[in-house]
Amino acid sequence: MGATIEARFLAETKLLGLELLPGQEVTLLAAYTALREMVELVGADYPFETEPAHVFMPVPSGGDRR
Amino acid sequence: MTDDNSCFLSVAEAAPLIAAKRISPVELTRAYLDRIERLNGTLHAYVRVLHDEALAAARAAEAEIMAGRYRGPLHGIAIGLKDIYDTAGVPTEGGSKSCLGRIPANDATTTRLLKEAGVVMLGKLTTWEFAIGGTAFDTPFPPARNPWNIDHDPAGSSSGSGAAVASGLCAMAMGSDTGGSIRWPAAWCGLAGLKPTYGRVSRAGIMPLSFSLDHAGPLTWTVEDAAIVLQAIAGHDASDPASARCPVADYRAALAGGNLRGLRLGVARAMFERDCVGSEEMLSAFDESVGVLRELGASIAEIELPPLALYNATAYLIARSEGFAIHEKALRERPQDYGALARDRLTIGAYVRASDMVQAMRRRQMLVEATTAAMGGVDAILLPTAPDPAPRLGDLAPYFGNQRPTYMRPFNLTGQPALSVCNGFDNAGLPLSLQIVGRCFDEAMVLRIGHAYERTTPWRGRRPQLA
Repeated sequence: MGATIEARFLAETKLLGLELLPGQEVTLLAAYTALREMVELVGADYPFETEPAHVFMPVPSGGDRR
Repeated sequence: MTDDNSCFLSVAEAAPLIAAKRISPVELTRAYLDRIERLNGTLHAYVRVLHDEALAAARAAEAEIMAGRYRGPLHGIAIGLKDIYDTAGVPTEGGSKSCLGRIPANDATTTRLLKEAGVVMLGKLTTWEFAIGGTAFDTPFPPARNPWNIDHDPAGSSSGSGAAVASGLCAMAMGSDTGGSIRWPAAWCGLAGLKPTYGRVSRAGIMPLSFSLDHAGPLTWTVEDAAIVLQAIAGHDASDPASARCPVADYRAALAGGNLRGLRLGVARAMFERDCVGSEEMLSAFDESVGVLRELGASIAEIELPPLALYNATAYLIARSEGFAIHEKALRERPQDYGALARDRLTIGAYVRASDMVQAMRRRQMLVEATTAAMGGVDAILLPTAPDPAPRLGDLAPYFGNQRPTYMRPFNLTGQPALSVCNGFDNAGLPLSLQIVGRCFDEAMVLRIGHAYERTTPWRGRRPQLA
């Protein structure tokens, strides 16, 4: 992964196989920069046992409503 | 009394007149259609007006009522639906070139419930593209304008819903709320906007944006009208996997009384005085609103919620990730069919890694628990809906939410019911707003507080002045 945010953005774009439209690279880079800040803010240093919020809701019969 | 003035009756005012056969639903519908004909070219609230279908529905309602088969307070009431609500046989295009000509075979559950309650559907309302694209000028439909000043933004994504209700182009409208899209246009258009608890109102048949954050709800002129609409659409729906099996209260009965004695309300002051400082007029209106609620008998406490930025970052990662999953195929194959804002706001979700998403859901659980704990001693939370009144159309920055975040997203994340009500006007005559947030599935409480506030204050006496 590259050292600068631009390099990271370009590398990930390539890895994701995204073909951006003309001019989109500039606007999406701004969004990407904000996104990385939010990822930092949310953090990743949780105790092992920290459960995520669950949207999946089993029905009483034990089946899956989906 | 079916001239232009009848278009400004609230649902609660019109219903008894319709029931008593003093107002004809057909004449009422004609009055709305005439007004839409005159004003929609300026406001762009509707993307599709169902002239003939609305008159046919109004005639059917009138015939039923004349025959003594009055269904209830929505019978013969003219409404609009945000154009992400599926309507059988009627195009539902999500404000996007990529969905032009899309005609659903079935109604959304909420569409069906409203029809069963006897409403007259006037048409489909302008939405930000796929409820995310912002105020855009490169999509098939022009952006809606704010009726209080047409040079200003009505907010979104339920932009047409806000503009239509405020300007008397329908009696009530449905919107959707993933990060504030019911409450925000309600705030900037001077309305009541209710985001019910996650799971309270079915999302089936509504174009999704974020499965775990999407909510459906009404935008109305009064809080009482919101209670009437919620009564018709609340309840379990097997076609929505997140729909809750939870008893539905009598929401209108919960409004009775008027005083708030015995209630404890918590002011989340740090959110709008530290995390994102509200404008002077918004803060002043908020403090006056708290004073009104205190005079109504509520006791006021200060509460501390986690930082707004943490809620917003968490919600952002989840919303973008889910949004990209929904649109990935189309974005890869036909990106040119999206407006630039929707395209960027959805594509960025590709860069959220799987582990980022899981960490966000872990953070979400922690925020839910912290919010619940902060609410331990209070019946509802008070804060403004947005930090500022409506800016000029086109002045919202693409990533506006990151620069001047509103105070709504935390409650999409926690799923709590949240109501925006008008609490005054700024010096330019643009609406200000108060947000009331309750415990999950206690919509009755937020409606009760909002209604008591609304009845005590003069703000419902003012309407936008349009030619």
